[in-house]
Amino acid sequence: MSENLHTRALQLVAKGRVEGLAQSESDWLSAHLQDCEFCNEHARQTDSALRALRTAAIPVPADLASRTQFRVRLRAMELREREPKRRMLWLACAASWIFGIASAPYVWRIFQWMGSVTHAPKLVWEIGFGLWWTIPALFAVIVLLLESAGRSEEPEWMKPGR
Amino acid sequence: MRDEAKTVARGLQKRDPDLLDRLIEQYQYRLFRYLTYITGDKARAEDFFQETWIRVLERGHQYDGKSKFEAWLFAIARHLVIDWQRTKKAQSLDALTDPEQERPLQVANESEPSPLHQVLAQESEMNVQASLGRIPAIYREVLVLRFQEELQIEEMAGVLSIPVSTVKSRLYRGLDALRGALQEGVA
Repeated sequence: MSENLHTRALQLVAKGRVEGLAQSESDWLSAHLQDCEFCNEHARQTDSALRALRTAAIPVPADLASRTQFRVRLRAMELREREPKRRMLWLACAASWIFGIASAPYVWRIFQWMGSVTHAPKLVWEIGFGLWWTIPALFAVIVLLLESAGRSEEPEWMKPGR
Repeated sequence: MRDEAKTVARGLQKRDPDLLDRLIEQYQYRLFRYLTYITGDKARAEDFFQETWIRVLERGHQYDGKSKFEAWLFAIARHLVIDWQRTKKAQSLDALTDPEQERPLQVANESEPSPLHQVLAQESEMNVQASLGRIPAIYREVLVLRFQEELQIEEMAGVLSIPVSTVKSRLYRGLDALRGALQEGVA
């Protein structure tokens, strides 16, 4: 029997277990395995290895599920407690931005007036006006940084939300 | 199956604690086995098991119910292990089988009392675990996902974030390696 036939048979043995075979391939392989003891033994060994893998049991520690359920419930409570605070923060920022947009023309005039009274350069009071707009965003960033700093004591791979 | 996945997705969106309890019970064996095989360490697998479910709680809104829940679950677990590996200055799961760093699978050496079925199956189980411990982690992982967890090749590609063709080639090599390792164990 040619070497190529054995090579094809061994490839089909593996393919049958990994992807499945077409009917024609399956028929050809069955016929070959009946005639070839070497390939038949190879197929048996493959099946035996897979059977051993499928039936290998790893016992789960008895209380692992309940410990995990407890930790998950605790974390869920933590997240629920944090949600209203986070919502309030965004609401405050949104309200602040809306107020900022609505009052922008008046605030601009106030800064302009203060600039003329104090003889401050135009650039200075324009920067002041810019800061007025960025304060809510800066505040939100500071709060988020403080929150993440609070979590930094956990090991890196355990940090939630990564 | 699709309806079940959608139900799970809706429950995870709402962080339904009863659903999470049920999922933890339901998938405890499969997830723990997967983690034990890819980390090669039972104590570490316990840590990752808990962290995986915490992550499921936090990231539950990202699961859309279009794929199998277990595929998504295994992907989360795998990413946690990879993150942990990275903190150890390793690049991937391959480092788990670096001969210099190799820690053999330790599940068979546990000191805690075992259930009766474990005692009965211990001999062949130890042989399989020792054999799996001898093959590279990237092959061990695909073998476990395909032949123990019975994921489809496309689902495995999603879990492992690699092309389908790579999954197949790893499976073929892994199968060959497993057969060889088991033969060595028997000999």
